Amino acid sequence: MSGSFVSRRLALGLASAAVSIVSSSASAQSWRTLDVARQLSDSAPASVQVVYGTGQIGVRATSKPLLYHMQLRYDATRAQPRHTFDVASRKLQIGMQKSEVRFSGRDDADAAHLQLELSRSAPLDLNLDLGAVESDLDLTGLRISRLHVESGASDAKLRFDSPNPTRMSVLEVSVGAASFRGDRLANANAADIRIDAGIGNVELDLGGQWTQDIDLRIDVTLGIVTIHVPSDVGVRVTLDKTLASFDHEGLIERDGGWVSKNFDSAPHKVRVTAETVFGKLSIDRTGR
Amino acid sequence: MGGRTIPAGTAIAGPVAVAGGPLHVYGTVNGDAIAIGSDVIVHPGARITGNAVSALGSVTLAGGTVGGEIRQLAGALGAVPQVAEAESPARSTRHALALSSSWLIILVLMAIGVLLFAGEYLDGVVDSLEGRFGRSFWAGIATQLALAPVLCLLVIALAITILGVLLIPFAIVAFVLAVAGLITLGFLAIARITGESVAPAASKRYSARGAALRALVVGVSIYMALWVLASAFAWAPVVEMVLRGVAVAITWVATTAGLGAAVISRGGTKRSAPTASFAAVNDIPWQTPTPVTGVVAARRPTPSSSARDR
Repeated sequence: MSGSFVSRRLALGLASAAVSIVSSSASAQSWRTLDVARQLSDSAPASVQVVYGTGQIGVRATSKPLLYHMQLRYDATRAQPRHTFDVASRKLQIGMQKSEVRFSGRDDADAAHLQLELSRSAPLDLNLDLGAVESDLDLTGLRISRLHVESGASDAKLRFDSPNPTRMSVLEVSVGAASFRGDRLANANAADIRIDAGIGNVELDLGGQWTQDIDLRIDVTLGIVTIHVPSDVGVRVTLDKTLASFDHEGLIERDGGWVSKNFDSAPHKVRVTAETVFGKLSIDRTGR
Repeated sequence: MGGRTIPAGTAIAGPVAVAGGPLHVYGTVNGDAIAIGSDVIVHPGARITGNAVSALGSVTLAGGTVGGEIRQLAGALGAVPQVAEAESPARSTRHALALSSSWLIILVLMAIGVLLFAGEYLDGVVDSLEGRFGRSFWAGIATQLALAPVLCLLVIALAITILGVLLIPFAIVAFVLAVAGLITLGFLAIARITGESVAPAASKRYSARGAALRALVVGVSIYMALWVLASAFAWAPVVEMVLRGVAVAITWVATTAGLGAAVISRGGTKRSAPTASFAAVNDIPWQTPTPVTGVVAARRPTPSSSARDR
C-alpha cells in the first residue's frame, strides 16, 4: 500500500469524521416568535432595562395605548426571553439572556431580532445592554429621562427626529469595537452627553432643536470621531490626544482650547471635552 | 377542548384555558386567560386581571382591559433542549469530549493541509527545532513577551501618519494572522518530531511524505490526547482541573518551543546551517611509512652546493 494512498484514505476519513462531529455538536434550532405587550394604565415614570445578546434590535415609540410591546424572534435552544414588569417599582426587564456563542452553520444574526415599542406617555429611564447586536434606536416621540446604551461589537444608530418632551439627565453611550452614529442629538434634550468608544467610528450630529447648552464628553481609544454642529451654535473643544489628529478648521485657539468665532455670541453652546489615543477628531460646522 | 365564552356581568376565578377554540371574554376573569391553538378576544367592558396568553393564536383587544401581559407565542413549540444552566455531568462530559475531539480532528486536518501545501516550511521549522530545542524554547518565550510591544510599536508607527491610521485595523489583523500562522507551524513541527520519536516509521514501509504524515498524526494525537483525557473527567471537576493544568503546561511548552523555532527559521524559510562535523578520516593511506632507522634529512640547496653539483 503506497504512502500517498494511505494519506488520501486517512484524509478522507478524517474529513468525514470532522463533518459528522461538527454537525452533531451543532444542535437543531427551534425558532419562535414571542409577542408581549402591556396595556398602559397610567403615565407614571417607568424604568426599562433591555438586554439582548445577538441579532438585530429596533426600539421606537408606539402609537397604541401600550406601555411596551416586544416582538421577538429567537432560537429557543439557545436562550430564553425575559420579560418581567414589577408593578410596584414600575421596572421592566425585557429582552433575551445573552446567548452563548456556538457554531451553527447559519447566520443567526440575521434571523434573530427584537423590536421593542415603548409608550410615548410615560417618562422612561432607558437602559440598553447589547452584545454583538446591530441596533437601530429611533427614540423619536419618547419621553426619555435618562438613556444609557452599552453595545459590544456591532453598529449602533440612535436618533431623535423630534424633541424629547422630558429633560434628559444624561445620555450615555458606551460602545466596544463598533461604530456609533447619533442623529439630531440636540432633540434628546440632554445637557450632558457622554460617549465612550473603544475601537471604531463615532459620528455625532448635534442637529435638532436647541433648548440648552450641551456638555459633550467623548473618550475614544482608536477611531475617527466626527461631530456635526449647526453653524449658529458656539463650539469649544478641549482635546487630550496622544497620537491623534484634530481637524479644527474654523476654530481658533483660546485659553488652552479651540473655540468657534461665534462662541461668545451664540445663543447656545456645546463644550466638547474629547480624549483620544489614536485616531482623528473632526468638527464639522457646515450643518446637516 | 373547544371554545368558551365568559358572559358579561359574570366574574370567574382564573386561570381559564381553552384549546382549539376561541376564548371570548365579556365579563371578568380573575387570573390568567389562556388559549392554545386559538385566540383570546377581550370584548368591550371585559377585564382580565392576569395575563392574556395565546399559543399559536392571537390576543385581540377589542375594548376590554388586561391587567397583566398580553402574550402571543408562535413558531416551533414543544419540548426543546433548554440552555442548561446546570448541565448534568454526563452531558457536560459529552460536550467536553465532543469539543476536544473536534479540535483534534481540526488540527489533524490542518496538519495534512500544511504538509501538502507548506511542507517545505514545515521541514525548515523541524530542522531548526531538532538542532536547537533549548534555543527555540527561549526564543519562543522572548517572542511571546515581545508580541504586545511589537504590536503597539506597529500601531504607533502607523498612527504617526494620517494615511497609516487607516491601515491600523488591517495591520492588526495581519499581525494576528502572522502570529497564528507561526504558532500553528511551530506546533505542528514539534508534533511531527514527537510523533517521529514516539513511533518511528519503518523506512521501507512509507514514502517520505507518508512517514511525515504519520508522525504528524501521531504527534498531534499525543498532545490532544491530554485534552481529550481531561475532558473525559468533566464529571469530576477536581481531576479535570488537574489534568487540564497538565495539558496546558505541556501544550504551552511545546507551542513555545515550536513558535521559537518558527521565528528562528523565519517561518521555515531559513534552514539551519549544517553543523561542522568532523567525520573520522582514514588517514593511514596518507601517512608516509617511516623506517625504524629513521630518514636522512634532506639538505637545503645553497648556491655553493648548486655550483658544486654542476
